[in-house]
Amino acid sequence: MDIELSKADLEFREEVTAFLDGNAYKPGEDYAAWRLNWFKAAAEKGGWDVPKWPAAFGGPGWTPTQHYIWEQETATRNLPWDLPFGVGMVAPIIMTYGNAEQQARFLPDIRARTVNWCQGYSEPGAGSDLAALKTKAELSEDGTHYVVNGSKIWTTMAHIADWIFCLTRTSSEGKKQEGITFLLFPMKQDGVEVKPIITLGGSHTVNTVHFTDVKVPVENRIGEEGKGWTYAKGLLAHERTGLAGVSRSLVALEKLRRQAGKVKRGNGSLLEDPSFKSKLARLEIDLKALEYTELRSLARAAAGAQPGPESSIMKLKGTEIQQRIALLTTEAAGPFAAPWGGASVGPSFASGGTQSYLGSRAYTIYGGASEVQKDIIAKNVLGLKAKSKAS
Amino acid sequence: MNFELSEEQQLLQDSVARFVADHYSLEARRKLADSTQGYSDEHWKQFAELGWLALPFSEEDGGLGGTVIDALVVMEQFGKGLILEPYFATVILGGGVLKRLPASESRTARINAVMEGQLKLALATTELQSRWDLHDVVSTATADGDGFVLNGAKSVVLHGASADGIIVSLRTQGGQFDKDGISLFWVDPKADGVSLKAYPTVDGLRAAELTLEKVAVPSDALLGPLHGGYEILDAVAQEATLALSAEGLGAMERLYKDTVEYTQNREQFDHPLSDFQTLQHRMVEMFMEYEQCKSLLYRATLEFAQDGMAASKSVSACKHLVGVAGRFIGENAVQLHGGMGVTEELAIGHYFKRLFVIDTQFGNADYHLERYAA
Repeated sequence: MDIELSKADLEFREEVTAFLDGNAYKPGEDYAAWRLNWFKAAAEKGGWDVPKWPAAFGGPGWTPTQHYIWEQETATRNLPWDLPFGVGMVAPIIMTYGNAEQQARFLPDIRARTVNWCQGYSEPGAGSDLAALKTKAELSEDGTHYVVNGSKIWTTMAHIADWIFCLTRTSSEGKKQEGITFLLFPMKQDGVEVKPIITLGGSHTVNTVHFTDVKVPVENRIGEEGKGWTYAKGLLAHERTGLAGVSRSLVALEKLRRQAGKVKRGNGSLLEDPSFKSKLARLEIDLKALEYTELRSLARAAAGAQPGPESSIMKLKGTEIQQRIALLTTEAAGPFAAPWGGASVGPSFASGGTQSYLGSRAYTIYGGASEVQKDIIAKNVLGLKAKSKAS
Repeated sequence: MNFELSEEQQLLQDSVARFVADHYSLEARRKLADSTQGYSDEHWKQFAELGWLALPFSEEDGGLGGTVIDALVVMEQFGKGLILEPYFATVILGGGVLKRLPASESRTARINAVMEGQLKLALATTELQSRWDLHDVVSTATADGDGFVLNGAKSVVLHGASADGIIVSLRTQGGQFDKDGISLFWVDPKADGVSLKAYPTVDGLRAAELTLEKVAVPSDALLGPLHGGYEILDAVAQEATLALSAEGLGAMERLYKDTVEYTQNREQFDHPLSDFQTLQHRMVEMFMEYEQCKSLLYRATLEFAQDGMAASKSVSACKHLVGVAGRFIGENAVQLHGGMGVTEELAIGHYFKRLFVIDTQFGNADYHLERYAA
C-alpha cells in the first residue's frame, strides 16, 4: 500500500491537463462541431474518448491511478456533453454478449457519439422489481423479426434518443427472470411514442415510451433469447459504479464552501456558523472515505475482477452525499431557497441549488432504489438469505 | 387538562376542511398556481364571507376575537389543502401588525377593510444580508419635513405584488443589528419610488423583491412607535412561526397518510410494498415524527396563548422539529413513492415542496435550534 504518485503518473497528469486545456471549448465556437472534434482528438490520444473500454475494443488500458487522475482532472473542467447510455452502458453489453457483426455495426457510432441511446428498462408495473416487466416481444412465424408491444417509464432522454436498448418479455414460463430478451431498435419509427414526464425540479429529462407493433429484426437481439436478465444484471453493476459521482461531489463541495463564505451571517460569514460548519465537515469526511472506497474498487477492476458488491456501496453512499450537498446548498441560500426558476434573486447559487435539491431526490430511486441496493448487499456481501423478501 | 377542540373550533375546522375538499383538488390548485396572480379572488371573497379574515381581530375591532388556537385550526387545514390565497401574508402577518397598533382612524379602517376582503397585505422584513434576523436592518427611513423618506430593498416579500398595502421594517436610528431603532411603515405599492418584482416560489405561491427609492411618505405612514417596531415584529413573528408550523403539520399528515395508502396498493416482488418490514418501519418513523410535531405545536401554541412572548423557546422548539420532521417525512414520502414521487403528477410532490419552503420562512431548523439553545 502506498499513495505516492509515481513519476510516470505525474507525467500522465501533465499530459491529461495539457490535452484538456488544449482542447477546451472557446467562446463563440460551434459547439456541436467542437464536441465531435473533441472526441476525435481524444480517440487519437489512444482511447481517451472511451477511458473505461477494454484495450481490445480501443480503450486506453489505464491503471487505476490513471483513471483516478483522469476523473480528478475532468471533474473541474467542462467536457462535451455525453450521455452514459451509449459508451457507458450498452457498449459493454455489446462487447461482452454481442456477436462480431453487432460489434462492428454499433460500436463505432457509439464511440463517435453520433448516435444517442436510451435505456428501456423500468415499466409502470416494474420499478424496483425490474424482472416483473411485461413489454412483450413476439417472434414472427417466419422467425425473421420480433413484434414489440408495451410501455416503458422513466426513460431518460428518450425524446432525443436515436436508439433504445430494451428489455422485453419473450416468455412468461418459469421464473420471471427467465424469458427476458435484450433487443436494440431505432426510436424514430412508427409505433414508438414518447411522452414527457415533468419532475419536481421542473425539468423534462424522463419520459414514458409506448410501443405499438414495433418490428425488430432478430439480428438486433443481443445474445440468446430469454437470457436478457443475465446480460442486464452485469450492466446494472456498471451503472451503479458510475452513479457515485465522487469527483463531481468533491468539486461541488468546494464550490459550496466558496459560496457559503460569501453569505453573511451577522458580522461574519456562514462558514463561521457552528452548525453549518459541522455539516460541511461531516460531508467532507464521508466523501474522503468514499473517494478511497472508489479507488479500492478501481484497483479491483484493474486486477481483472468484475465490479463487485462494493459497487452497491458506491451508489448508496455516493447518491446520499450528492443529496446532502444539494440540501446544504439550499440551507446556505436561506430565505432565497424559496424563489423559483428564473427569479434570480439573492445569492447567485440559490435557484440552482434548489433545483438540484429537488432533482436529487431521484438519485436514491433510479438505477436501483437504496432499499434494493441494501437487499443486494445483505444477500451478496453479508450472505443473508432472502428467505422471504416480505415479512 | 384538555387537548380537545371546542365546539366552535370543531365547526371552524369542519368548515375549512369542507372548503378544501370542494375547491382544492390537485388539478384545480395547479390551474390557480399557474395563473398570473397565483390565487383566486373568488376564494378570497368566500374567506371574508365565512368570517375567516376576521378571526384573529378582537371583538372591539369588529373581529371574532380568535386566539392562536383558532389560527392553528385554520392553518392546519390550509396545510392539508395547500391553499394558495394570501391568508398568512394578509391576516397573520399584516393583520398581526395592525392589531398590535394603538387605536387610530387608519388602523380601524384598515382592519375593517381586511375583514371585508377589500385589503390585502404583505410584510416586508427580509433583506439580502439578514437571513432570518428581524433586527438586521439596513434599509432606512429618514425624517424629512413632516414625513419620511424611505430607501432600501426587501426580499422574498410573500405575496408582495398583489398586496394593497405593504408593511416594511426600516432603520430609523442605531446600527445594523440594533433592535432599538427599527420602525414600521405603511407603503403604498403604487407610490413613486416603489418597485416590485414578482416571481413564483417553489411551492407555487408568489413573492416579490421590493425596492424603495426616495419614497416620500407622510408622518402617519409610521405604524406604532418611532424606533419601537421590533417589539411588534417579534410578537408577529412568534404567531407567524406557529401558523407556519400548523400548516406544515397539515402537510405532514397528508404525506404520511398518502404514503401508507400508496404502499398498500403498489405491488413489487409479488407483494404490496407495505408488506416489507423496512418500509413499514420507515412509515412508523414518519408517523412518530408527525405526532411529536403535533405535540410540540400544541405545547407552543397553548403556552403562547397563556404566556405570550415567554413561550418563545417552545415556539422555536416547535419550528425546529417541523423543519427536521417535515424534511424527513417529505423526503421519505417521495422515496417510498419511487419514480412517481419525483413527478409533478401526484399530490405528495407538492406537499414536499411546501414543507421545503416553510423551512425557509421565519427561520429554518438550524436557526431555531440555535435560538432554543441560546
